[in-house]
Amino acid sequence: MTTVGNLIKKNKLMVIVALIYLALLAVSPDKATSSFNNSIYYLKEMLQVLPIIFLLTVVIEAWIPKELIIRHFGEKSGWMGNLLSLLLGSLSAGPIYAAFPISKALLGKGASISNVVIILSAWAVIKFPMLANEAKFLGVEFMAARWVLTVLAILLMAWLVGKFVKKSDLPAPEKTDSLVVIRQDYCIGCGICAKMMPMVYEMQENKAVVRADAPTLMPPEKIRQTVQKCPTKAITYTGKEK
Amino acid sequence: MDIFTLGFLIVSVILATIALIRDRQKTVAAMRKSKGMMGNMLGEIIAIIFLIGLVLTFIPPATISDVLGSSNVQLSTVLAALAGSITLIPAFVAFPLVGSLVDAGASIIPSVAFLTTLTMVGVVTFPLEKKEFGLKFAVSRNLLSFVFALLIALGMGVIL
Repeated sequence: MTTVGNLIKKNKLMVIVALIYLALLAVSPDKATSSFNNSIYYLKEMLQVLPIIFLLTVVIEAWIPKELIIRHFGEKSGWMGNLLSLLLGSLSAGPIYAAFPISKALLGKGASISNVVIILSAWAVIKFPMLANEAKFLGVEFMAARWVLTVLAILLMAWLVGKFVKKSDLPAPEKTDSLVVIRQDYCIGCGICAKMMPMVYEMQENKAVVRADAPTLMPPEKIRQTVQKCPTKAITYTGKEK
Repeated sequence: MDIFTLGFLIVSVILATIALIRDRQKTVAAMRKSKGMMGNMLGEIIAIIFLIGLVLTFIPPATISDVLGSSNVQLSTVLAALAGSITLIPAFVAFPLVGSLVDAGASIIPSVAFLTTLTMVGVVTFPLEKKEFGLKFAVSRNLLSFVFALLIALGMGVIL
């Protein structure tokens, strides 16, 4: 029974839409069929782009050395830094709040406020795999024009925010005693960390937490692997660097 | 399938194949991650597509082009930008949604405003952004994004 409840909870929107269709089918079958046929058209179009988006995301993930970009980030500034930020943002997947932890980590490594704005904005609007989606439904010209205008706007906006907001306006990093911290705001409960290191992580109410009885001596290499594997970068590890 | 989509598909298949040959382990891991992420969204995607069908049936194209058409662009653009700021649907499904509205006669300017604020301005994620980067950063980034979304939309109206 709990699994059914969970399924409904996870697919709330789908259940609501299905109920609307059922009600409509009872009241006016004509409208229900015509709605259904309208949807099928867009569903077919969507099915054409889905594999493209999937494959491109995989290629970017497997090929682009994102860790390398991040590692070199602090040293680069000026146009090079802007370009790297633009790349990093457009090559990532997920909604804008998924960019918060990474941006914060980069700020700690010396990235400028302007570059963080570039990463966040690019992450939000100009993701590469999504360009195929936009071209499909709105046309190639639309996609290209919006891309150019958006990149210009992002650069201008980054410069403005950089002028206005100083690093002293940002909140100080939180201090904790434990070496491994999972930020609950970002954990999506995928369970990868708990599967990789059940000694350290466990799942509680669909979120990963650090076990209270986690051993104090943990192999740093393995912890770092879980930090890397976390899809939303919710885990931070403050152990000694090699 | 149009030529552009087909071209995109062929290129991505080739790239993915090369990735598989070069580093099988890493690519398979990436596939698993990507599959998980898309699987999570699939329910929402299908639901929204069926919602589009409902919208198109109940709101006739004439009404859509009346409200979102070229007759009162200023008002509809600001309203579309506001709507984009508060809604939280993945960009993924925003494109078919906006595409269907444009097909039905909506003007391009409000459509672009909606698409841009949808992803760049986040009223729902604002508290989180404030917590991470401070009030001043969150306010100026979101406000500027809103203004620039309007500018991008106007620019698109001039170009297309």
